[in-house]
Amino acid sequence: MKQVWVILVREYLEKVKTKGFWIATLALPVLMLGMMGVSAFLGIRSQQAEADRPLVVLDRTGALGEAVVERIGAAGYATELLEADLGVEEMDRRVTEEEVEAFLILDERTAAEGAFVYRGQDSPGRVRSALLAAIVGEAALENRLAGAEEAESLRALVRGGRLEYEAVGGEVAEVARVAAKAHGMIGAVLLYMCMAIYGSFVLRSVLEEKRTRIVEVVISSVRPWQLMLGKIMGVGSMGLTQLAIWMLCVALIGTAGISFLVQVVPAADTSMISEILPSVGSVALLAVFFVLGYFLFSSLFAAVGAMCSREEEAAQAQLPVIALLGIPFVLQMSTAGGASFAWMGWAALFPFFSPILMYPRAVDGSAPVWMVAASIVLMVAAIFAMAWLSGRIYRVGILMQGKRPSLRELYRWVRAA
Amino acid sequence: MTQHPVRLSGVSKTFGAHTAVSDFDLEIPEGSVYGLLGPNGSGKTTTIRMIMDILMPDSGSVELFGRPPDFAGRGRVGYLPEERGVYEKMKVLEQLVFLGQIRGVARDLARKRACEWLERLDLADWASKKVRELSKGMQQKVQFVGTVLHDPKLLILDEPFSGLDPINQDVLESIVRERSALGTTVLFSTHLMEQAERLCERVCLISRAKKVLDGDLKELKRRERSGTIAVEFDDALGRSDPRRAWQQERAVGSWPGVAGVVQAGDAWHLSLEDGAGARSVLAAAVAEGAELRRFELLEPTLHEIFVRHAGNDDNDNGAGPDGGAR
Repeated sequence: MKQVWVILVREYLEKVKTKGFWIATLALPVLMLGMMGVSAFLGIRSQQAEADRPLVVLDRTGALGEAVVERIGAAGYATELLEADLGVEEMDRRVTEEEVEAFLILDERTAAEGAFVYRGQDSPGRVRSALLAAIVGEAALENRLAGAEEAESLRALVRGGRLEYEAVGGEVAEVARVAAKAHGMIGAVLLYMCMAIYGSFVLRSVLEEKRTRIVEVVISSVRPWQLMLGKIMGVGSMGLTQLAIWMLCVALIGTAGISFLVQVVPAADTSMISEILPSVGSVALLAVFFVLGYFLFSSLFAAVGAMCSREEEAAQAQLPVIALLGIPFVLQMSTAGGASFAWMGWAALFPFFSPILMYPRAVDGSAPVWMVAASIVLMVAAIFAMAWLSGRIYRVGILMQGKRPSLRELYRWVRAA
Repeated sequence: MTQHPVRLSGVSKTFGAHTAVSDFDLEIPEGSVYGLLGPNGSGKTTTIRMIMDILMPDSGSVELFGRPPDFAGRGRVGYLPEERGVYEKMKVLEQLVFLGQIRGVARDLARKRACEWLERLDLADWASKKVRELSKGMQQKVQFVGTVLHDPKLLILDEPFSGLDPINQDVLESIVRERSALGTTVLFSTHLMEQAERLCERVCLISRAKKVLDGDLKELKRRERSGTIAVEFDDALGRSDPRRAWQQERAVGSWPGVAGVVQAGDAWHLSLEDGAGARSVLAAAVAEGAELRRFELLEPTLHEIFVRHAGNDDNDNGAGPDGGAR
């Protein structure tokens, strides 16, 4: 066991000490922070800009101005109403001297068909154009409807039909369920990525030892299964380190983000946050599926590495293993729209599919507990079977050079070892 | 009788249609320095890999310390493979400590020994450099240190000298001698006959998958002695003065028991009649008052022995100009 530990430590340090590891590990939270920072910055910037320079509504109709200003203000823009008419030169002076962002000129055309002039230095941009057009159109319509009979129902119809969703079990339960589905999906993506990436690390590491032939030296002092186990656990520890750093960063950034939100928008509704966050149980389950899935696949990757002598060969030989990972991933992603099939629940019992298919079902509760338990038991059994098989292939393959073995030769290896 | 750390009997190994080793016997006595000699592709590395259980023989048996080459046995061997295997991204000292640790040497002891060895091999300044930054020869020295860190009972070195400059070859030679003096058995393969001649007590010559000669080096040379005597006169001017050369040849030819004389540079090579001894020839020379600079019973070099036994199809063995070995 001591040798396994020595190999584990070497493998772990070799991976963790590289610049690449830290760049990859820190890039994610930095990216996240950066995105949050940029959007916060942009939000503050646009608020300030609008606070400095109002949109002035110049109402020549005498009927629409108040409604328009009220709605623009409600949309978060600085605005003011100007009853008096101004000449074009005076307007342009105020705009060029940056007292005013732009003038909205409402006249009889506006009252009749909703058309209005936006006079400013810069075009309002698509979002603001649409918003202003909607606001003015609505105000004009309101004005026309004011005298009509059945104004209320007409107004409603003009807005379009309305879907009224009745959430069974109440709103809180619904949020929780949507969140659970999302956790399942995110977990499946994470599991897929981790097993594929860390698995290929194991493969490359085996291949490198084989290529440099240092394995011939190491194997004279360490049993093949010890070398394989140490390597798998070393790479796995590196993976756990990376995941732990990510989790920590997400937790820190998330907490900071929420407290920031509460400060800036005191009225923000934070009662749902606890429903959105993943439960301790589902995080623990993710860890269980990660560890089991990683062991299952990395032993396969190790065997593939032992069979090959060159990277190009390995790229080809690992395809069956990649397929075992890819099939459940594609299946799971196809359910993202909400569709789900009962047979997929049964497919999730297949050990190689379990991590990616069973974890989401376990988290959103669509798989019964006994099924989740059964998949875990089956995975453990599969790990022992695969460790036995891969160990034998590894033991023979690691010292072989040259041509990749055919399936028949592989069978002989397994029997001979 | 002492135990043989390595014993092969009737070992054969084929790769497809190619026979790498054929019906091979080998016994390496404890404490000896044993040279496995042969041209490239003659089966040296295959033999060593079978001893280390990296390859399995098709037939015959391999014993390491009296047992099949199992895990415990391999652990007592310091093995330097022909392919120089190192973890390129690891630092020199870390790598050595790792190699020591997997062989059961405690971390601190491994570190201490590694430092001493690096000091001795002039690599101390490189201890914290990554292995891939080192030259090939330096990597090879690092790898050699890795093989001796756990004080193995048996050193198996596959072509340990290739790729080393003469100075480092000497250093390695002296380390091999020193290990041997401490009781370590050493088996090494080489195609450099000169090296083997200096270092080995026993040799085994392989050619084309088969053993050609095997045994004590001195014994072998005595057995291979052709009975030729080399004589050189003090005023060795034979080459530049034809008259003097003629006189010398006549004088030498007149000594009792001499059957033939051949000039070889400054020296005369005398072949003797059957039953004649070198002693009587020397007596005659002394009685005649000849001023001799050299009188030597010629022994064949390993190179010559090898060529004689392996035939002339081994010119590609790269043995180099070692005809002048003393």
